[in-house]
Amino acid sequence: MNPPPSPQSLAPVRAGLWSLSQGQRLRYLLAIVCMAIGIGLVFLVPAVTKGVIDGLPSDPGPFQSPDWLSRLCTSLGIDSPTTGPLMVAAICVVLLTVAGGAFQYLRGRLAAQAAEKMLERLRVHLYRHIQNLPAGYFDQADTGDIVQRCTSDVDTVRLFLSTQVVEIGRALLLVGCALPILFQLDVRLAWISLAVVPVLMVYAAGFFKSLTRYFRESDEAEGAMTAVLQENLTGIRVVRAFGRQDFEERKFDEANGHHRQATLNLMNLLSLFWSCSDFLCLGQVGLTLFAGGHFVLQGDMTLGTLVAFTQYSTMIIWPVRHMGRVLVDAGKARVSLRRLAEILESPEEQELREAPATVPAQPRGALVVRDLSFAYPGEKGPGAPVLQDLSFELQPGQTLALVGPPGSGKSTFVRLLLGLYDYTGPGGAGSIQLDGLELSRWPLRELRLQVSAVLQSPFLFAKTITGNLLVGRPGAAAEDLRQAAEAAHIHQAIEGFEHGYDTVVGERGVTLSGGQKQRMAIARALLKDCPLLLLDDALSAVDHATEQRIRQTLLRRAGRQSTVIISHRLTSVLHADQILVLREGRVVERGTHQELLARKGSYAHLWDLQSSYTTDSAEGSAEGLAQDPAGKPA
Amino acid sequence: MQDEHQDDDIPRGPARELWRRLYRFALAWPRHLRRVVVFALAVAVADMSFPLVSKYLVDALTAWQTGEAEKPSLWPYALAYLGLTLMLCVSVFGFIRNVGFLKTAMAADIRSQGFARLQRLEFAFFDRRATGWLMSRLTSDCERLANIMAWGTLDMLWASTFLVGIASVLLWLHWKLGLLVLTVVPLLAWASRAFQKRLLTASRRIRKINSAITADYNETIMGVVTTKSFSQEDTHLGQFAVKAAEMRHETVRNAMLSALYLPTVLSIGSVAAAFVMYKGGLDVTRYGLSLGTLVAFLSYTRQMFEPLQQLAHIFGEMQMARASGERILDLLGRPAAIVDSEEVLAAKARAAAAPIDGRADDGLPSRLGRIEYDGVGFAYDSGQASQAKVLHDIDLVVEPGQMVALVGSTGGGKTTLVSLLARFYEATEGEIRFDGVPQKRRSLSWLQSRLGVVLQDPYLFRGSIADNIRYGRLDADPADIERVAALVGATGFIERLEGGFQFDVGEGGTRLSQGERQLISFARALLKDPEVLIMDEATANVDSETERLIQQGLETVLDGRTSFVIAHRLSTIERADVIVVIEAGRIVEQGNHRELMRQRGRYYELHQHQGQQAAGLQLSDWTA
Repeated sequence: MNPPPSPQSLAPVRAGLWSLSQGQRLRYLLAIVCMAIGIGLVFLVPAVTKGVIDGLPSDPGPFQSPDWLSRLCTSLGIDSPTTGPLMVAAICVVLLTVAGGAFQYLRGRLAAQAAEKMLERLRVHLYRHIQNLPAGYFDQADTGDIVQRCTSDVDTVRLFLSTQVVEIGRALLLVGCALPILFQLDVRLAWISLAVVPVLMVYAAGFFKSLTRYFRESDEAEGAMTAVLQENLTGIRVVRAFGRQDFEERKFDEANGHHRQATLNLMNLLSLFWSCSDFLCLGQVGLTLFAGGHFVLQGDMTLGTLVAFTQYSTMIIWPVRHMGRVLVDAGKARVSLRRLAEILESPEEQELREAPATVPAQPRGALVVRDLSFAYPGEKGPGAPVLQDLSFELQPGQTLALVGPPGSGKSTFVRLLLGLYDYTGPGGAGSIQLDGLELSRWPLRELRLQVSAVLQSPFLFAKTITGNLLVGRPGAAAEDLRQAAEAAHIHQAIEGFEHGYDTVVGERGVTLSGGQKQRMAIARALLKDCPLLLLDDALSAVDHATEQRIRQTLLRRAGRQSTVIISHRLTSVLHADQILVLREGRVVERGTHQELLARKGSYAHLWDLQSSYTTDSAEGSAEGLAQDPAGKPA
Repeated sequence: MQDEHQDDDIPRGPARELWRRLYRFALAWPRHLRRVVVFALAVAVADMSFPLVSKYLVDALTAWQTGEAEKPSLWPYALAYLGLTLMLCVSVFGFIRNVGFLKTAMAADIRSQGFARLQRLEFAFFDRRATGWLMSRLTSDCERLANIMAWGTLDMLWASTFLVGIASVLLWLHWKLGLLVLTVVPLLAWASRAFQKRLLTASRRIRKINSAITADYNETIMGVVTTKSFSQEDTHLGQFAVKAAEMRHETVRNAMLSALYLPTVLSIGSVAAAFVMYKGGLDVTRYGLSLGTLVAFLSYTRQMFEPLQQLAHIFGEMQMARASGERILDLLGRPAAIVDSEEVLAAKARAAAAPIDGRADDGLPSRLGRIEYDGVGFAYDSGQASQAKVLHDIDLVVEPGQMVALVGSTGGGKTTLVSLLARFYEATEGEIRFDGVPQKRRSLSWLQSRLGVVLQDPYLFRGSIADNIRYGRLDADPADIERVAALVGATGFIERLEGGFQFDVGEGGTRLSQGERQLISFARALLKDPEVLIMDEATANVDSETERLIQQGLETVLDGRTSFVIAHRLSTIERADVIVVIEAGRIVEQGNHRELMRQRGRYYELHQHQGQQAAGLQLSDWTA
């Protein structure tokens, strides 16, 4: 799942970041300009202070206003000798600070706007991509891990974008200003004051590698921990049912401990990194100071030059030191981006398919399946075959039923029909044609518009009931929603809720029973008007009376819609035009209900099982009450 | 925003109380805390001594140049410098190491406690909260909080000490000018307060949207197949994009506030500097204030800016941390609604002190025995004022070893009725008794150990099939696991899978079909070997042949066990000792199959329905 990032794999990360920054680069540039102006203005304050102090007498006496201040006062029409210039100087200090602050604010604002815009893009991009990943991707991946990448890793990138990008500009600016001055002051000492910089660079670069490795470990541990948390929360009911709280706590504490240790390792590495880089930087300052001192003692340099030099070289060394911080954050951001790229680089499902062909003008729901075989992809190639040599034809408007024990491949067939898995890959063979066009050639969007499905464990979104129904047909009128709900026999239950159709369901909504959820899913599927309806054990949690009523509704639609129905209740399938009995992925019997009964095979056996109690007791209810029902053979 | 109601219950207590509670996590590591302080002091001392070395060096050089002293040797200064450098590096090393330790330890402790709390909270808590919302509290909120607590607090202490020091020096140097400088303090305080309030509000919003975004990612993955099958990608993307834009908007707003806060503080500070410059300058010219004092004054006033800046920055971050802290404490401090009562805890303590054979951990008989529902009613707490009642006046007696079948329309309250037995929810009216002892007087651990539940939704954990079955009894050996798998008729399909019992079922069991998951979930419950078995639609997604096999297996398993069965296929339940028909939350009929058939009531009706379908309907020709 997490291949170690290879050096060449950084290119797409960089390219991705670069394309994300589209339209924001100017903002960043402006932010850097604002920062430069702001710093410049703030640097003027000490100059004003110095002018004032220089002009003050050591004993009471008149204030010797510096030239610029006198000129400023004259132009402002102020002529009092002491109060005026002092007042003006004081106001200058405030104004300079305020103006500098204003630019600082602009810098912060522009940088935040640029960074957040990029992040918004990144988040939306991730969301869109996740939706378009093939269903098989999620069989392998941990939800919690993906969520951690989309939140925590995005946050790491955010930190880099919002603070460090401008800092890089600032460091470059300071170095760029100070370097020429240094060389102007004293060329020899200037070279000396740069002596450590290459060492620092090499050192930091060397560190970068282990830093990214440690950070990746910590990040991956966080992903694993989030996965444990997510799984626990999703399965919390099972945890409770088995009283396994302690077991789960141990499991989480282990993952938590791993994460803690990995982060601690990172911290320890960082403490080493910082103390060493501090040593180098301070060593640099010291080297300059004492080399300069030596020059002064030799008479090669004035003391003033040395003082100025130490001050300016500090201006270089601290930005360089700060580059260390930038580097650390860049390393983290790189790891995070790499992890995000692992998601983003997984091909979307449509990309994995053959070039789409032109869709039939009027899809009618004709289905032709020939020698279809399929095995799910596993880590080591395809696994055991789930479907083998399945063939049938379904005319528009007809109903096909699939029955068979768990694991016989019924649901797999539904997944293939929805284009969730690809039967043209390594584990598959044969063909499925919908309205004469091979399924793999259908554009996925188009294909799914033709198919309405009720899946085995229905998923409702955390929205209102109306919102969930609208999923079936966006823009449907309230009246249509009501009709669909009535057809699925859920309308009454909905009316019983306090907020009716505005009741929030899903993860944090009202608690729906299993049967209610299924009927919501049916209503949603009924709203979607399309040529092919798939019902995968769609009524298993619904009582028989309700089921029968729903079935009648469906039958009224028969002829308009081809239907593939999977059910364990044979009463649900007995009206099908064709019934296929599957076992271990193969068709063992096929025919209509009557034909299959006549054959006295496994279908007939199932039918006997299901009707034995009911028919016996229904017939026997009049006279045979003396029979002991508990004694019936199981 | 649709999620507005979600977070309204997060308490917003006073900041002091919040931090007091949070700092307990730091106090759990006193040794590291002490070391952090020591190293921080060392860093500060070293940091402040560096300018002294250069100053003395320059002074010595000056003295030599003006001829006041001998030509100095550079070595003592160089050695002092080197010594300080080493001291600083060692302190930085120790400081980061210990702060790093504190940070990771605190984050891990908070997480661990939060997770443990989640394990104790009742079902109702989870019914109304999205997984992603809860996840974000233990991940990003936790990380942020620990980070700021570890790094920010020290900076803040340092900055405020520094500020107080400067203020004292100023007053000592020249109290009148000093007071003049300090006049801006109330202004600073007022501005800070105003900003912090806004920053806190913005931070709260950001943390909330962060939760919503986390939940969205989680939901989109969980519901990916549904989204695909309805081609809802664009709709969902549109809804997400709104949240992402909102996140950007709020974050930018927050950043803008911070960006404005700092310059504001500096500007107010600059007013103090300007005061000093003007008034001090005048005093120098008029009253002979020493120039040295003024220079010192001005330089100190300037030095004030750095800690001020830092404080402003940390205060901004603190507001963010506070918003996160509130979310975490809300979780940690949330009382679990369904816990052992004081009385039970006392009994458990007594029983632990003097264990008696054949007794449960609460000192009462370990047998669950006869189950009585006495006037039990239940309403889900929907979070709104009025509550929806789902069960009314349930009276039911189940003798040990009996099989009880619950039938009725969907949404009638069958699942709720058995959930109350397992105490997943607490009955809001009446009580349940075991052998005459009220449910609340028995320990939860005992109750859980007696019950085996097969839930409607057969959730499996990532891992092998064997691991998932073993969840029922952690110390079970492979032979037991294979035995229960055979009992539920799962051996056949398991053996066909790659790796057999070692087959990885995937997250939530998605690599298996629903029916297969049901069988595993069934096996898991049987492995527990419970006194009472609850089966909620346990075989809804399997075919009749498999179901028959399961029932054959169950014959032996259920012998002598009490069981509750919820099923829609009446064939499954005809042999039940008691059949309870539940409609709209009430028991409408109760009795065995024969009695109920004779009554010709609701059960008879249900039965006729299925009978007709099975027996007669093939005659009608619907297929035309």
